[in-house]
Amino acid sequence: MRWLALIWKSLMRSKRRTLLIVGSLILSVFTVAVLQSLLTTLNAVTNNPNSSNRLVVRHKSGLTQMLPRSYEAYLRQQSEVETVCALQWFGGYYQDPRNFFANFASDETTLFQTFREEFGAAGISEAQIKDYLRDGAGCIVGESLAKKNGWKVGDVVPLTGTIFPINPRLTIRLIYKSPKPSDENVLHFHYKVLEEGVPRMKGLVGSFWVRTHRPEDIPRFIERVDRHYANSAYETLTETENAFNLAFVKMLGNIGAIIQGITAAVVVAILIVTGNTMATAIRERTTEIAVFRAMGFSASRVLGLLLFEGVLLVGVGGCLGVLVANLAAGAVRASLGMAMPFFADFAILPDTVLACLAGAMAIGLLATFIPAYAATRRPITEGLRAVG
Amino acid sequence: MNTDRFDLGGGEPIITLRDVAKSYWREALEIPVLQGIDLEIPVGAYIALMGPSGSGKTTLLNLVAGIDRPTGGSLEVCGHELNSLDDDQLAAWRNAHVGFIFQNYNLVPVLNAFENVELPLLLTGAGRGERRDRVEEALALVNLTDRMGNYPRQLSGGQEQRVAIARAIVTDPDLLVADEPTGALDAKNAEEVLALMERLNSEFQKTIVMVTHDPKAAHHAKHQIHLEKGVLDKAVEVNR
Ligand SMILES: Nc1ncnc2c1ncn2[C@@H]1O[C@H](COP(=O)(O)OP(=O)(O)OP(=O)(O)O)[C@@H](O)[C@H]1O
Ligand SMILES: [Mg+2]
Repeated sequence: MRWLALIWKSLMRSKRRTLLIVGSLILSVFTVAVLQSLLTTLNAVTNNPNSSNRLVVRHKSGLTQMLPRSYEAYLRQQSEVETVCALQWFGGYYQDPRNFFANFASDETTLFQTFREEFGAAGISEAQIKDYLRDGAGCIVGESLAKKNGWKVGDVVPLTGTIFPINPRLTIRLIYKSPKPSDENVLHFHYKVLEEGVPRMKGLVGSFWVRTHRPEDIPRFIERVDRHYANSAYETLTETENAFNLAFVKMLGNIGAIIQGITAAVVVAILIVTGNTMATAIRERTTEIAVFRAMGFSASRVLGLLLFEGVLLVGVGGCLGVLVANLAAGAVRASLGMAMPFFADFAILPDTVLACLAGAMAIGLLATFIPAYAATRRPITEGLRAVG
Repeated sequence: MNTDRFDLGGGEPIITLRDVAKSYWREALEIPVLQGIDLEIPVGAYIALMGPSGSGKTTLLNLVAGIDRPTGGSLEVCGHELNSLDDDQLAAWRNAHVGFIFQNYNLVPVLNAFENVELPLLLTGAGRGERRDRVEEALALVNLTDRMGNYPRQLSGGQEQRVAIARAIVTDPDLLVADEPTGALDAKNAEEVLALMERLNSEFQKTIVMVTHDPKAAHHAKHQIHLEKGVLDKAVEVNR
């Protein structure tokens, strides 16, 4: 028998109790890990480093209002601007309405330049881009979207429109890889398909995505553009891409405060449950602790053994909780990643894993230390007298 | 000082008590439990400590075994002045010198007989192989080689107590202390345990101090010491 065996056997003294603690730890670590990761994911949406010098120009009255495409010429003239890409959310689906993913009609001539980080520019060749530019009924898709549907270059994808009354049949000309999974669940096709197929869209577009040379240019630019179009028939609202995304996230309410509140409640609850269970478990061993000490185990050694037990218990629970959370994250990516692009990036990050495990350890140490310390300070004679 | 009242045979003393006292306090009220205990016990003695309930037998035994501290006087046991040892030193001293036998056996329920006996050896730095040899030797001595893998709940009371005795002797201590070791056993099992202790004393020269109520048990010792209201009353040599 080694020390570890001794600790393990002590842990397995009451299997029901051990399972109960491990189970509640799995549940709480899982909950906290998933919620915190959700928060991280949402924060990442509004804090995308790629978009630090990008901004969005749209209609002041909301996302469903259109702007004249002619605005593009004015935007391009501004000295801060590198490129402008007209882009419209198409909202079509493939085969089944539930089979939903992000698809856009966009200006193919500036798309790759405006979103060069997202398209992992290095991975695609000039020849492939030319193929797409040449084919007016062509489209490009991200690799994970292509994989999910079993698409290859050259396949025809029939899209069914939901917002616009057209069902374009698009030929895949390019499959791109992206550093972020969410950017791979996207399809783009030529803007002309929308403009020519839908009469009311003639000369109009939902948004312009503008890339400036430097992030510092953005405030000046925003101010000038919105002033220029003030009091016109189509007033603009210009904001950074991150601010634009934030508007979506804000629709979910003050989710950060809610998540932190739930996390705190879970931590307090698990601390009480673990502390209480540990206290009972150690109290039941009063006589045994006294016997160990009579045999020559010092108080600090017994304390160490008990602490190790507690930490092992929460360690196992914590690790399993993180594991379950990771499995759940994978399921979320698979099921919701298409519908809500930011969920495609949903993952339990190493920082969250570490924080959860450290938190579980701290709870285990605290919950065990208090009763264990008290138990090992008790006189041995008292422990032997106790009826255990 | 009147140690000659307690002639426990010649030989080097292994236990020397000088004016030992123990009191408890209930608020400001002092409750004396032991007073003015002077006693020398030679190596190889087998003492039955007797006396009415509440007379302080367990208290005295605990002091000798180094799991309690006196409120007055001094104890020298197995060559160490116990008052001069701190708690951790005292723990190490117990591991090296004292084996405990309890009325309720106090085996660890989640460990089997082998592991229970091995427990005190974990502190000695003995390697795995050496530990196994010594555990097997101790279990052979108490005649339980065939029950090594049994858990306490799979043993009879008498077997449990014999495992506990194996655990007490596995570190080869000089002194065995036993508080009512037969108190929970029927007559037959009690006889077996007492025979075993007698053998440990005679064959292996273990010094034994045993607290007991039972005159039959006390009869197995070489000497009987009587405590009366916290004071040593008399010592009697047993004619076995
Ligand atoms: N922790 C304590 N606090 C106060 N009094 C105590 C404490 N421990 C023991 N006593 C008292 O000390 C006296 C002696 O107790 P002890 O257990 O030594 O008696 P004993 O001779 O072993 O009795 P028994 O034969 O019933 O086991 C008793 O009156 C007991 O109430
Ligand atoms: Mg007693």
